[in-house]
Amino acid sequence: MKPYDFLAQLLVETFDVPKDKITPEANLTDLGLDSLSIAELVFDVEDEFDIEISEEDADFTTLGGAAELVEKFVEAKDG
Amino acid sequence: MSRRRVFITGLGMVTPHGSDPHHVFSRVYAGESAVRDVELDEPVSGVPDSVPLAPAHLDGKGIISKAQRIFMARASELAVVAAHGALGTAGLLEDGLGPGEAGVYVGCGLGGSEALQKAYRTHYLKGRRVRPTTVPLTMANGPTSHISMQYALRGPTVSYSIACASSAVALGEAFRAIRDGYQDVIVSGGTEAMLNGVTVSAWHLLGVLARPHPEGVETSSRPFDAQRTGIVLGEGAVMFVLESEERVQRRGVVPLGEIVGYGMGSDAHNLTDPHKDGQIQAFTAALRDARLDPEAIGYINAHATATPIGDLVEIEAIKEAFGDHAENLPISSTKAVHGHLVGAAGAIEAAITCMALDKRMIPPTAHLTDPDPALDLDCVPCIGRAVDDLEYGLSNSFAFGGTNAALIFRRV
Repeated sequence: MKPYDFLAQLLVETFDVPKDKITPEANLTDLGLDSLSIAELVFDVEDEFDIEISEEDADFTTLGGAAELVEKFVEAKDG
Repeated sequence: MSRRRVFITGLGMVTPHGSDPHHVFSRVYAGESAVRDVELDEPVSGVPDSVPLAPAHLDGKGIISKAQRIFMARASELAVVAAHGALGTAGLLEDGLGPGEAGVYVGCGLGGSEALQKAYRTHYLKGRRVRPTTVPLTMANGPTSHISMQYALRGPTVSYSIACASSAVALGEAFRAIRDGYQDVIVSGGTEAMLNGVTVSAWHLLGVLARPHPEGVETSSRPFDAQRTGIVLGEGAVMFVLESEERVQRRGVVPLGEIVGYGMGSDAHNLTDPHKDGQIQAFTAALRDARLDPEAIGYINAHATATPIGDLVEIEAIKEAFGDHAENLPISSTKAVHGHLVGAAGAIEAAITCMALDKRMIPPTAHLTDPDPALDLDCVPCIGRAVDDLEYGLSNSFAFGGTNAALIFRRV
């Protein structure tokens, strides 16, 4: 599954975000996630894609931004 | 100091016997065991793959959202569902929220032990970073905070982590806070969810867990029986709403029971071995607090966890504290059927004691087919007993660490 699709599914199924609010531009805070929720989201992504995103690197505000960041880490891992 | 009467106006639970208090009581009274053979969630060296346990069925649908669950240990989920039931039966839920002035006093022994187990597994087995939520999930005050947040209860939020006496102390301190005028309404009780592999194995290796009984694993918890071999761990949460007499009158509600006395005593002896002196101190303090003579007590719900030493010491303590009256005093341990709920033990047994008084039905000590001759009091073997006159009941909770608590209830 692609990072964007995985994140979208996670937001709907685990974080109770309504499906119609899922867009690349959606701000995660506006979707109801606080800092601890975003940290949990990052750990779920790390487990799924077997990557490690440091706190400094986890600099995103939107769903699309988070997906792009994960893509970058996955590409770096796969060389 | 003037003392206000303290009534129980709400009761909610998630227990090995279910979530409806009257249904739970009828199953306990019938001696129906909720103990079964449970496979541990991971193999642990030196421990059988499965052990007798009393798990609870948790269904938080409609109460706890999926997003909330991320930040809740099982003990917190159980606690919130039980609190929902308590506030609901008290008629205090309005648009999903409780009375803002209410306090929350909750006992919990181990908090989110499963979160800690998961964190260690992540670190040591997978070599990955531990989730930051491990901290709020593990803390023993998590359940208290979740009840406060869920129902917008803004009074004092206090957590008691005193092993097996946690919720008896929580209830006792809540009782005092209302009686002495510090609070008018409190949600109080206990919760525990420690049936994960690593925690159960530690209890097993401590040498205190019951072996499966040849008559059937469901009979493995055998308080006062000559064939008792130890504790069967259970899980669950039981919450009460306690209110001052004035508040009860103002609201015009019919209380479920009354708390009239609370006493504590400490063994000052050993971390795991009990001592009768601390227990006697707790009984005596509770009776003095209730301004009652020992003869007033018509039923004792014993702590009796079915360890060889624990049951013996408790019976000795009852004999010494109650004198001649001990010979005529029905004593039962309902742990035979719901197991030992540790941090929630005091709360579930308080609920059973209150319902026993209300219904004038003394629940039995199930599986007591071969009474230990050294425990020669009336331990209500196997069959529950309907009685004409039952006004006061006492519930015991004794903790590892030597803390003992006794609560006295009155039928209303």
